[in-house]
This record gives sequence, C-alpha cells and structure tokens, in this order.
Amino acid sequence: MKRRLLVGLYLVAGLVALAILAFLPGGARAQFDVLAEFELHPIIKLPSIGPVDLSINKAVIYLWITTAVLAVCAFIISRNIKPVPSRFQFVMETLYELARRSIVGAVMKSDQASWFPYIAGAFFFVLVSNLIGLVPLPFAENHQFGFYAATANLYATLALALCTFVFTHYAGIRKHGLVGYVNGWVPSSAPPVLRQLMLLIHAISEVFRLVSLSVRLFANMLAGHSILAVFFAMALIFQNYLAAVVLQAGSIIIYLFEIFIACIQAFIFAILSAVYIGGALDQEE
Amino acid sequence: MDAESAKLLAAGISMGVGSLGPAIGLGMLISKALESIARQPEVSGEIRTDMFIGIGVTEAVALYAFVIALILIFVA
Repeated sequence: MKRRLLVGLYLVAGLVALAILAFLPGGARAQFDVLAEFELHPIIKLPSIGPVDLSINKAVIYLWITTAVLAVCAFIISRNIKPVPSRFQFVMETLYELARRSIVGAVMKSDQASWFPYIAGAFFFVLVSNLIGLVPLPFAENHQFGFYAATANLYATLALALCTFVFTHYAGIRKHGLVGYVNGWVPSSAPPVLRQLMLLIHAISEVFRLVSLSVRLFANMLAGHSILAVFFAMALIFQNYLAAVVLQAGSIIIYLFEIFIACIQAFIFAILSAVYIGGALDQEE
Repeated sequence: MDAESAKLLAAGISMGVGSLGPAIGLGMLISKALESIARQPEVSGEIRTDMFIGIGVTEAVALYAFVIALILIFVA
C-alpha cells in the first residue's frame, strides 16, 4: 500500500516537472541542417591523380575503422578457438552459422563452399560498418563527436554492389561459358524475335540490380541517420524543454530501431548477393 | 509559385506518394508470411529468409522515392 502511494507520488511529481518544463523559455534558435552531417570534407589533403581525388575524408576513415575492427576480431578469434566457447567466440560462431546456414545454405544450390567466403565477407563488412555508424566518433566538424557510417555514402555501397555484380557474371561465365550464360538468360523455347527482346530486358534488369543493391543500403543508412539527427536536434527547433525531454526519449527508441535496421540491411545485402550469384550458377532450364 | 517552393512541394509529395505502395506491399508480404509460418511452423526458417528477400526488394521502391526527394531538394 505504502509502495503504491510512493509510486503515485513520483508519477505526480514527474508530471508536474514536465508541466513546468513546458512553460520554461527555451534557448536561442540555432540553425540546423541535417544533411550537413553527411558532407565530406578532406581531412588530410592529398594530391589527386587525374580525376581521382585521393584525399582522406570521413568516409575513408570509417572504412579503415571497419576493416581494422574486422581484422582484429578475426585475428583474435582464430588464435584461440576453444571447445567450450567464451562469450565473444559464441557471438562470432552464431554470426558465422547465420551466414553459413541461413544465407548461403538456404539460397545457393550448388558451389556453396567456393562462394561462401565472398558472401560472408560482404555480410560481416556491411554489418560492422553499419554498427560502427551508430557509435559516436570524433570525426565531425572541428573534431566533435558525430554519427556517420561508411555505408551512408553512395560510393562505398556502389563499390560493394559492383563486387557482387562482377562476381555474378564471373560465376555464370566460368560455369556455363559466355555464350551458354547469355543464352541461359531466356528460356530456349521462346521464338527468336521474342528472345532478342527478352535478352534486352534481362540486360537492363541486370543493371538495375546494381542500382537497387547499392541505393537500398545507402538510402537506408542515410535515412536512419538523418532521422536520428532530426530527433536529436528537434529541441533546437521547438525551443522547449518539454519537447526536448520527450524527444530525447523518442530518439532512444529510434536508436534501438536503427540497430535492428543495421543488422537487417547487412542480412539483406548478403542474401541478395547470394540470390544473384546462385541465380547465375543455376540457371533455369 | 516560385521554383524553390515547387521543389520542396515535389519532394514532399514524392516521399508521401512513393511510400504508399511499398507500405501496402510490405503489409501484405509480412501478413502472408506470418500466416504461412503459423500454418506450417516447421518451415519457418525458409519462409523467414524468403520474407527478408521480399522485404529488401519491396522496401527499395520507397527508398528510390527518398533519393528522388533528396535530389529534388539539394541537387536540382
């Protein structure tokens, strides 16, 4: 009875505090631009070779961090594998099993062993890169802490998607030969005129796979990070302490949702890569 | 209406209308997948994998609208 009274008192006190906060005057309105977070400025200026600018910017640093984290994790885990796994080893084994069973095993019919390394590599790279994007690191303007993900950059995701694109056709051509592979794009029972049209449509769809694979990952990460930024900065826009408290609570929920999205997007990228490569290997008759 | 406000309007409309279709599609896709998992729990793993492939492909349509909206605001 006494405890319930105490809880009720706390509740009333909290509501009163929120009501007082609602009437406090807010701070000065600050200018705020969401997309400024995603602009890339060279941190270390390097000479450019022809049209290729080699300057080190935020995205490059995030890619380096991703690579370093992956390499260190792989090194540590491969040095001491125990029959009774530690916590870290258990997590890595679970992720490995996920890549092996639910991604490669569930989608590809043949040649699983030879394509598992690429697909698992893409999965781990995208996963670690997405998750590092949710850790505040001091690479924003004037070395402030800020959120950025290497995968929230179209060039990084396009490079990843190009890998899948190239490997898809490499796998198909190596298995069926160039002529056999291109012929396998359309059913052999189709009449010749229709065949040419279908070949053209299929070629266009191959290019659009590249676009959709890269834009999906890029737009998901960019949208997630800009929603986070909007929630964090909403207090500046409303100039109200009540809105600030409520929206900070909301931003925590959005942040948790972003962790989920980061994992799902890595999973989808890897599984679509597996679907494309598997489709090139086992063409329907 | 000047060009600047037309751009902002177009960006908002493209995001709103462009997310209508994928929203309906995602709802149908996930409801059907859950229905079949409830009917046949023993193949839930396979259904879930296929569901995620479908989610990825469907969701991309909304993200194209998002990219178009960004292009309208910041590039065009």
